Amino acid sequence: MTEIQSGGTAIDEMAPSTEGMNGSLLSVRDLQTHFFSREGVVKAVDGVSFDIKPGEILGIAGESGCGKSVTSQSILRILPKNGKIVGGEILFQNEDRLIDLATEDADGRVLRDIRGKDIAMIFQEPMSAFSPVHTVGDQIIETIRIHQEVSKEEAHDQAIEMLRRVGMPNPARNIDEYTFNLSGGMRQRAMVALSLSCRPKLLIADEPTTAVDVTIQAQMLELLRDIQADLGMAIIMITHDLGVIAELTDRVMIMYLGKEVEHGTVEDVFHRPQHPYTRGLLASIPKMEPGRVEIEPIEGVVPNPYAMPSGCKFHTRCPDFIEGVCERHEPPLTAVARGHEVSCFLYGGREALE
Amino acid sequence: MLIYILRRLLVMIPVTILISIIGFIIIQAPPGDFVSSYIAGLEAQGDIIEPELIDSLRARYGLGEPIYVQYFKWVSSFIEGDLGYSMIYREPVVDIIAQRLPSSFTISLLSLILVFVIGIPIGILSATKQYSLADYSFTVVGFLGVATPNFLLALVGLWLLFKWTGTVAIGLYSPEMQNAPFGLAKFLDLVGHIWLPALIVGTAGTAELIRTMRANLLDELPKQYVTVARARGVKPTKLLYKYPLRIAINPVISTVGWLLPVLVEGEVLVSLVLGLPTIAPVLLDSLMQQDMFLATSIIMILGILTLVGTLLSDILLAIVDPRIRGAV
Repeated sequence: MTEIQSGGTAIDEMAPSTEGMNGSLLSVRDLQTHFFSREGVVKAVDGVSFDIKPGEILGIAGESGCGKSVTSQSILRILPKNGKIVGGEILFQNEDRLIDLATEDADGRVLRDIRGKDIAMIFQEPMSAFSPVHTVGDQIIETIRIHQEVSKEEAHDQAIEMLRRVGMPNPARNIDEYTFNLSGGMRQRAMVALSLSCRPKLLIADEPTTAVDVTIQAQMLELLRDIQADLGMAIIMITHDLGVIAELTDRVMIMYLGKEVEHGTVEDVFHRPQHPYTRGLLASIPKMEPGRVEIEPIEGVVPNPYAMPSGCKFHTRCPDFIEGVCERHEPPLTAVARGHEVSCFLYGGREALE
Repeated sequence: MLIYILRRLLVMIPVTILISIIGFIIIQAPPGDFVSSYIAGLEAQGDIIEPELIDSLRARYGLGEPIYVQYFKWVSSFIEGDLGYSMIYREPVVDIIAQRLPSSFTISLLSLILVFVIGIPIGILSATKQYSLADYSFTVVGFLGVATPNFLLALVGLWLLFKWTGTVAIGLYSPEMQNAPFGLAKFLDLVGHIWLPALIVGTAGTAELIRTMRANLLDELPKQYVTVARARGVKPTKLLYKYPLRIAINPVISTVGWLLPVLVEGEVLVSLVLGLPTIAPVLLDSLMQQDMFLATSIIMILGILTLVGTLLSDILLAIVDPRIRGAV
């Protein structure tokens, strides 16, 4: 288990003081989520741990298929049918109750009460996130009325207020519109309004900027930052875009094939990347400097999920591969600085292997 | 919306005219006409035909004149409500249709209701419990239902009923009720008889609906708006009914309208086997014996039913689906 010290943006007055949680809002500990199919078992998330404090913004980054989305689906327990949490804990500090989301009934009362109210999620495709045959307002009002005992009129007013807050141009009219009538940017805003409708303590944003163009992406990040400053909720930002991470988050966790490879503050990870995979990811970002157009991609391809490499999962593509060690043993997390940990044998952990 | 309906009604006029032309030409296509087959029939029975009758019949319907003259004569009397005279039944066509259309409609409507009441819940069950024992069983039953000819089911039904209860389920009424005035007793007698044809006529439709419903729902269930609704804390039952089911059922609604004429004409063999006083066997007879006015009239009615049914479907679909409503 890892305890990460926060970068200091936490809003302390919101933090409940419970032992073991160290003031964290959510503590994911050694989470293992596997997918079972006829072809075999995919260990989509294989022992991931992180904490998030109230008001903090955590980034989770990695290539497609590294398990970042599955991590977020595990937290809300909205995994596809063949996905199962097979180990670990997802501890959520709800008021003065500590709930292990991993062991609750997926569609039971406890989780249903938390979903949309305490933990909400922004999805990648705002177009398909709304039902095409219901208005935007219908779905926002529904969410409000599930979680709060308010009249229809009151919920309607709250929904308009939330649409106004996310910058919809004409909330009173937009509330009765269908998503196919809205522009891409407005759909994104409606999606944010939907997830914020009950002012969640934790917002999980799963690739919210992937399906939109660059201008809307910038607006989206600005909106999230504003809303966060305004409502003070914690955010888990899931993306493959390191630019988004640098722009928005306090801390970042880099994942590769269901494992955490490095975590630390954005400062640490971007300026002093330690893990060869993190370094590779950063080197593969196109630079804006004139005259330097070269991109250095990471060698090789992501391994077949049904035939995972032994030892360190990255050893098949690693430029710093240590023969006889990396393919045999899984590297433990090693602290390289305060709050900056790496799972790589380059930084230690070899002593522990007899 | 109102403009849309009016526009659609306007479009129906040329289509109806086109149906009447095509129907008329096809019925006229075989050599000879009904008067000659009528005379042949009468002569075969040894009757003597007065030449005046023949001439008046020919003149009335313009036989021997160019086909477009015949067509216009027929159309103008059709519009006036004179559907012509049936040679086989020796009755005005209007009377035959008036006698038989109500029972056709009753059976069709009942089987349509049965199709939905049975098909939709089973389809939902099959989709939500995909690959379960129930799903597999209904899949097998469904394929059997699609593949078995209705007339065979009718025969099997007759036989089973006779075996178990000793009743012969022919016709819509028991022989002793046939000519009784319509009342509670006759109604109960009708209820006792009509369920078998309604069930049999609907079998294929039910089986198809199960498959359609299952496939549509399976398409919708993994969609993101379902996951999002789940992530908002919506209850599992509401999650199913309010979102994916609502969308999965739209294609079904769009087929309701044109199911009506299909049911009316689809029961030919069942009606023959079960001796039902419906319109379908009459259509078959009239076509085989070149009973032109009867055949064209029934075809026109089926054509208009199809048009009206399609319009009804489209209106229904526009009511339930805002995406369609936005486009009309």
